[in-house]
Amino acid sequence: MSERLNVKDLITVGIFSVIIIVLVFIFGMLGYIPIVMLALPIIAALVCGIPYMLFLTRVNKFGMVTLMGLILGIVMFLSGHTWVPILVFTLCAFIADCILKMGNYSSLKNSIISHGVFILGIMGNMLPFFILRDFYMESMRTSMGADYVNTVAPFITNEFLIVLIILTFICGLISAYIGKIVLKKHFEKAGIA
Amino acid sequence: MELGLNNEEKTFFNLDPRTKIFLLVILSFMVFNDVPFYISGILVLIPFLCLLFSNHKKTAIIYFVLYLIAKYIQIYLLPSSTGIIAIILITVSYTASRMLPILLMGYYTISTTKVSEFIASMERSNVPKDITIPFSVIFRYIPSVYEEIKAITNAMKMRGFGLTLKSLKNPLKMVEFYMVPILISAVKTSDELSAASLTRGLSSPKKRTHLVKVKFMLLDYILIAIAIVGFLVYAFYFIGGH
Amino acid sequence: MINIDNISFSYNDEANLENINLKIEKGEVILLCGESGCGKTTLTRFLNGLIPNFFDGKRDGEVYLNYDAISEMPIYEIAEHMGSVFQNPKTQFFNVDTTSELVFGCENLGIDEDEIKKRLNLVVSDFNLENLLDKNIFKLSGGEKQKIACASVSAVFPEVLVLDEPSSNLDSESSWHFEEIVKKWKEQGKTVIIAEHKLFFLPNVVDRVIYLKDGKISNKWAIDEFKGLDHRNLGLRQLNLENLKVKRNDYYSKDNEFFELKDFNFKYGKKHALKIDNIKIPKNEIIAIIGRNGAGKSTFANCLCGLKRSCNGELIYDGKSFNRKDRLKSTYMVMQDVNHQLFSESVIDEVLLSMDEEDIDFAEEILSNLNLIHLKDAHPMALSGGEKQRVAIASAIASGKEILIFDEPTSGLDLKNMMKVSENLRYLQSIGVSSFIITHDYELIMETCSHIIHIEEGRIIDNYKMDEEKLKEFFLRN
Repeated sequence: MSERLNVKDLITVGIFSVIIIVLVFIFGMLGYIPIVMLALPIIAALVCGIPYMLFLTRVNKFGMVTLMGLILGIVMFLSGHTWVPILVFTLCAFIADCILKMGNYSSLKNSIISHGVFILGIMGNMLPFFILRDFYMESMRTSMGADYVNTVAPFITNEFLIVLIILTFICGLISAYIGKIVLKKHFEKAGIA
Repeated sequence: MELGLNNEEKTFFNLDPRTKIFLLVILSFMVFNDVPFYISGILVLIPFLCLLFSNHKKTAIIYFVLYLIAKYIQIYLLPSSTGIIAIILITVSYTASRMLPILLMGYYTISTTKVSEFIASMERSNVPKDITIPFSVIFRYIPSVYEEIKAITNAMKMRGFGLTLKSLKNPLKMVEFYMVPILISAVKTSDELSAASLTRGLSSPKKRTHLVKVKFMLLDYILIAIAIVGFLVYAFYFIGGH
Repeated sequence: MINIDNISFSYNDEANLENINLKIEKGEVILLCGESGCGKTTLTRFLNGLIPNFFDGKRDGEVYLNYDAISEMPIYEIAEHMGSVFQNPKTQFFNVDTTSELVFGCENLGIDEDEIKKRLNLVVSDFNLENLLDKNIFKLSGGEKQKIACASVSAVFPEVLVLDEPSSNLDSESSWHFEEIVKKWKEQGKTVIIAEHKLFFLPNVVDRVIYLKDGKISNKWAIDEFKGLDHRNLGLRQLNLENLKVKRNDYYSKDNEFFELKDFNFKYGKKHALKIDNIKIPKNEIIAIIGRNGAGKSTFANCLCGLKRSCNGELIYDGKSFNRKDRLKSTYMVMQDVNHQLFSESVIDEVLLSMDEEDIDFAEEILSNLNLIHLKDAHPMALSGGEKQRVAIASAIASGKEILIFDEPTSGLDLKNMMKVSENLRYLQSIGVSSFIITHDYELIMETCSHIIHIEEGRIIDNYKMDEEKLKEFFLRN
């Protein structure tokens, strides 16, 4: 399956990237509420399952999912989330792609797991907070005051990061499963999936 | 008469797409931290200038006012407020002052770059089709999605279940109401757009030619220079340990 | 030039085309017509190579272009010889600005830059596009979009042009402009193949007519022969609009109740997009809203529905005044793209969703009256365009709407489906619903409407009881 991506595949990737970008950005606005910001990956994982599962019905060769991860990473980068998402999103998407390939792009189980992994790419947006934790804390204390730091501090720990990753992954699985149900309920009946 | 590809009034402030992306990249470092205005000022002004000179005057001014409000909150209001209000103010103002320049630069980039310019400059830099085509589609499809969201919202209003506090009680239903029509049209668009592009020879292996000339002009160099200076000021501020 | 040699095609075992044989000479203009689903779109897909390059299915036979088998050519090579224009202007453009779109095909094929510049200048003067350069395509009117689509395929200098229902979204004036475009191609010696429902703008350019029925060529006529036929019997739209006669004689009288509209104003920036001080419109009638593309018809409809926040105005009837919010409750718009207003997983649920208290018996009654009852468990999105429209109507009836507004309900419909829309409108009238129809479809108006509102530049310039002469003046002045 070393077939190259053709124009139709590339356009499909573009269109579905738009859907995911729009979703992530609309729900990303919730990030203006303190603390909720840290739960963004979970929210993203919950809402992206439906478009992702529909996207997969049009994927039958290696590369489309990886490419989408790269594109989303670049978009995150261009919208002010540092260059970390490019690496993280592409890597997650690549692993997701491999999982799909193992299931020959037709296994439901693999599709659901692949979404769990794919959506971890969103973590790339948060990682800088954790990697540069001390640096952040320090500058927040000077600029935003101790009150704020004390509220936020318990959440920016390695333990919390691991919990967040696990939760995001699980939510990704659940939402992919919901996506599959919606696919059956709407898109298959409508004859487009 | 030579049929102009660029109208007269546009030629004077017309950046190469690569310059725009470079500026975005530089600005995106700002998100790392918040600094006093005299340090970040140059970077903050870049999107303002770009918007101001390219028929987005209103946006430019709104942006600047919002930025000043955010800064005002940080400097004058925050020291005297405490508790939950302070936390909300902090989040809003700091997110705003860090994100606004980047978001506005992104807005400027998307609204002033033609798909053809984008492709031309990317291909000049040897970026493969696999990346330029999806990105061109993104440029082109975002406005359509916006129109669709508007149409669906209208349809829901007429049916009496528009976006209200009451309807938010069942957010899953709302997500479904929006998502299903949008996704159905996404699938339709991706099929029809692919078919149309194929009949226009998009899959041709020949090297594409470009009518739009993209090359670095004086203005590009000036802005890049300004951005680098702004970035250096910003970087030294940190290296110098404030 | 083109030799269609015994082609057949089926998607999922359903025969779509059977044993089509046709020879087309260089410079001919061919019209493919027939009812919806007759296979004319499939035939165009054979010509432009989308079958087999894009659509999968069981295929037999071959189409030859100058003795070369099309199915063996890569699609980008076909693109040099065949230009395609499609029905939906929203999805056939790759660019956002017009100039880039015009040269897009040439750039893909790697044509030399100076040559592209020459060709651009040529199509711009050929198609009179001076004012359309460097514009946002998505802000253009339907007619302008289709002009850009035609010009941009023209720039590649193809020998053959394949057009699949290009006029679906055009008003009558733009349709006549479209005739000019085809004439131009004909003068340049190009071969043109048009699949169309709307025929009235074509008799002076077409040479031959191919009539398809159930996937087979059922008849071929020279255009003069075709002009003398009874098109209604063939299930086709009217070829000569002069022949159409008003179909109704049960128009309203002076004693009819009236709507009164007061102070409907809406501005885009500083420009008045709509300005209505005071007009009266008969109640419980079928009212056509006419005017050119971009005249403000949609703005009027949106204001009437209460969708424009800044447009207040008053709608008065039955001695009551309805402000914007009241109107949102009592009116409903059936959009041109009905897909945006269907939300449920089955037709019956869609109707129930509109009711404050679910009443299955009433819902089923509505569905039977609209001939939808056999589809009640189907998914709305799986239905045909006409059926979707009826589901939207059903949901409006269920929520007790008294005023329905239709945005171009017959664009792209064949005669049979247009007649169905007309039936639905009369049914709505019989149950006391008033309908407003934004339309460019002269045939539909003659068939159904009793009152006309003519809008230009945001003003109502005429408001009259059905009058054949006046209408003709608007639709047939060319």
